[in-house]
Amino acid sequence: MAAVTAPEVEVARARPSALRTLPAIEADTISQQFDAKQALDSVSLAVAPGSVQALLGPNGAGKTTLLRILSGLLVPTSGSVRILGRKADSSRAFRSLIGLVPSGDRSFYLRISGVENLMFFARLHGATKREAKQRATELLEEVGLADAAKTRVGFYSHGMQKRLSVARALLASPPVLLVDEATHDLDPEGAHRVRDLVTSAAERGAAVVWATQRLDEIRGLADGVTLIAQGRQVFAGSVPELMAQAVPRRYLLHLRTRGSIDEALLGDVGTIERSGDGASHYLLVLREEAMLGDALAALRASGVDVLTCTEERSGIEQAFLSLAGAR
Amino acid sequence: MRSATGELRKLPAFVRRDFLVAWSYRMSFVSDLVNLTGQIVVFYFIGLMIDPSVLPTYGGTDVTYLEYAAVGIAVGVFLQFGLDRVSAAMRGEQLMGTLESVLVTPTAPSTVQLGSVAFDLVYIPLRTAVFLTAVTIAFGLNLSAAGLIPALVVLVAFMPFVWGLGVATAALLLTFKRGGGFLGLGLVGLGLLSGVYFPLDLLPSWLTAIAEANPISHAIEAMRDSLLGDASLRSVLPTVVLLIPCSLASLALGLGAFRLAVRRERRRGTLGLY
Repeated sequence: MAAVTAPEVEVARARPSALRTLPAIEADTISQQFDAKQALDSVSLAVAPGSVQALLGPNGAGKTTLLRILSGLLVPTSGSVRILGRKADSSRAFRSLIGLVPSGDRSFYLRISGVENLMFFARLHGATKREAKQRATELLEEVGLADAAKTRVGFYSHGMQKRLSVARALLASPPVLLVDEATHDLDPEGAHRVRDLVTSAAERGAAVVWATQRLDEIRGLADGVTLIAQGRQVFAGSVPELMAQAVPRRYLLHLRTRGSIDEALLGDVGTIERSGDGASHYLLVLREEAMLGDALAALRASGVDVLTCTEERSGIEQAFLSLAGAR
Repeated sequence: MRSATGELRKLPAFVRRDFLVAWSYRMSFVSDLVNLTGQIVVFYFIGLMIDPSVLPTYGGTDVTYLEYAAVGIAVGVFLQFGLDRVSAAMRGEQLMGTLESVLVTPTAPSTVQLGSVAFDLVYIPLRTAVFLTAVTIAFGLNLSAAGLIPALVVLVAFMPFVWGLGVATAALLLTFKRGGGFLGLGLVGLGLLSGVYFPLDLLPSWLTAIAEANPISHAIEAMRDSLLGDASLRSVLPTVVLLIPCSLASLALGLGAFRLAVRRERRRGTLGLY
């Protein structure tokens, strides 16, 4: 009996639907040219308050460039950005709407402590010394750095600096949170904590753009996905819609057979070969237009029992690779 | 107005940050004092070779070379601070990668500029005061206590001029990333034509004409008049009147150039690059 594992679909955490009406972030046909390189080509994005939009793409796709444009650090060659209806510019009023978690490591004063760093940035947001200290202490507690509050940031690990970076972005409880590769290189516990913090911010009404190249991150986190590759937007929609783009072609089979399987057994339907995971494990590769059911029927007809059948890649990964133009 | 007050309230945060960073390098305070002492000892011995009659008189009194140079060095420190430290602070932010993190906060670029030197604005005058007091005590310098107020007034009128030059230099560094050559050239030129170490009369006549148009040389001479010649506030007033428009122009030029540089880097996406 074949047991086909369905692609895992998790629904993003429910957030107040009333908040999801007007977009908090509207980026319209953004293009960015760096000398001869077209970094972004007519990318559009709309994110409602209280929702998380995943910005997915391989390295060099243009994710960081788009976040820098949304944060006002970079002026696009063409296109427009509006945050809560306000046109992006370099004004203080615009910048007060943004919390940015940059991708790099170097964004803190390494010779001073975590709490002093946060206090400094809080005061740049207009907090008094007392308010800054209180907010910094609260956030250090939230990101799990209370014990390291008085340690110099230079002694922080990569993961601790990332958490500190999230804390800094949340200092002024901004309505828009831009997160660039926040969990890249983090251990699972650290990554989980960062995701929780960002999800909580969205639950409180923040519109979040979460840039990542890791597909596993967007399940259960993102309400929507924008996939960009080589500066072009190749997909925009929900996670299930992204997965619907996937055309699974490779399956891992666990078979019970009385002898060896002829690799030409499937004919025009596809090929089957040992996967190397054991004598009874095989890799089935379907040809274009072929149906999984035809392959399984052909195996059954030759006296082979299919014990399990699992997609070699997840649905999201299939869609990502297919849309991003990779294998 | 409220916005300007809000921006000014951010300055103590910069002072605290830079104090904590400086304090984390405690030895640099010690080496700074050692350097200063070394410099004075050198000028003391040079002074022994120089006939005071070649030096100008202040308030009708002869001065020693050490007295002459000490005031020049004290003002020269401000000059160096303005040209070097202002741009170095910006470069430091770029190298540490903190510039973008600061500029993404709702803080005006001019506040970031002023903030990045706010600690020096507190530290350098203190250091200068300690320097002059130490030199006075150790080498028996004859500095006028009554001249302190006029000297301070000249200094306050003069500081924005230097700061403006420093901000303009920072704009150059932000744009061209490496501007050490410009900076060195500027320091040598201004040092040579400001009368920090020697009287301007010793220069060739065509250079003297240029030096006399240099607001820094006027500021230094007014400081010497005050501290060595016991000049009154009224007598340094013409210099102050001359310095104020120069300072305003320099500051406007510097802040304008910095604003343009930030805007350009925002368009090019190279704000954080160095």
